Amino acid sequence: LKLFLTGFLLCIALGGAVFCAIQTVQAFQSFQANRTLALSGDVRTIRPWMTIPYIAHFYHVPESYLDEQLHITDLQSQRRTSLHALALRYNRPIGNVIHDVQQAILSYRKQHATLLLHPISTQRATAPPASSRRKTA
Amino acid sequence: MSVFLTDLLTFFQTYGYPALWASVFISALGAPLPVGLALLAAGAFAALGDFNIYLLVLITVTASMAGDNLGYLIGRKWGSRVLSWLERSSIGASILPTGAVERSRVYFKRRGRWAVFLSRFLVAVLGGIINLVAGSELYPYRAFLVYDFAGETLSAVLPLTLGLAFGTSWEEVGNVLGAFSFFIIAVIIAGMLFSRLLRYLRSAKYKEEQKTGAQVIPGITPVIDPHATSSGPLPLS
Repeated sequence: LKLFLTGFLLCIALGGAVFCAIQTVQAFQSFQANRTLALSGDVRTIRPWMTIPYIAHFYHVPESYLDEQLHITDLQSQRRTSLHALALRYNRPIGNVIHDVQQAILSYRKQHATLLLHPISTQRATAPPASSRRKTA
Repeated sequence: MSVFLTDLLTFFQTYGYPALWASVFISALGAPLPVGLALLAAGAFAALGDFNIYLLVLITVTASMAGDNLGYLIGRKWGSRVLSWLERSSIGASILPTGAVERSRVYFKRRGRWAVFLSRFLVAVLGGIINLVAGSELYPYRAFLVYDFAGETLSAVLPLTLGLAFGTSWEEVGNVLGAFSFFIIAVIIAGMLFSRLLRYLRSAKYKEEQKTGAQVIPGITPVIDPHATSSGPLPLS
């Protein structure tokens, strides 16, 4: 009976080991996918535990811009407040708060991209080419 | 992420180092708090500059060692008394086999260091219980302190460094570590069961050999003592 019981438990343990090995591989693949998204600055990786300064730092958006978009007034006390705590404070669902942050980041990037392009085009339009400047001189 | 973990992180972000110390201390006493994940998050916050990583390591190690030592002390003061009472009383005699407490004490003295060391980071859930058991079994305090310090340093440095390195992906790192530690536990259990199975098989084979080697007298059933050890071949001739 002891032999049978030990064999049976061994089979369960081996099954458990195989199951855990598969889980580990899957968790690692999920980690890799998430890491790739996070490194590319994908806004889908924003989580409830993140604070506004954390988001501002890792998604390259000014903190003041996010505060403005989320209508945060008391800046000092909310520096270390997570999105989850902000949602509770403003009595809003956490999903909505995350969505607002994502939209704010995307709109900032959109504006920032146009601002980057805009000065170049205006410079080209206003400043005369070097050859024409020489001619006028 | 669970709401409980989010609340713990909010508590940690709001009150800083004292909150982390308190959480780790309570967890070391045996409360099922997700401190490993909180440490990964703390490492991620340290990457931003909100916390100092060296101070985080110091706070985590001191808090967990304080909790562990308190658990050990409780076990040594009251747990050992309970065991001694069980050893002597009639209730204990009806529950436990004779000399079981002494045998477990000797066994823990021999293998306790692994139990103390591994329960700090691999099976953190058992940490609080192992502290109580180590105290109750009168495990030498100096040895407990050494293995506790080694295990707790590893259990603090590992998640904090990974959190610092992988920042926003600390939750996924936590999932990988969790699944991997379960895998290691399953492998250890399988290894122990396999060695026990081998022992049983060897013992069964030996008994079989003894059986076939013994002279069978008709009408008399041979009696084999399962606890008897080998004392060489029987004088059959």
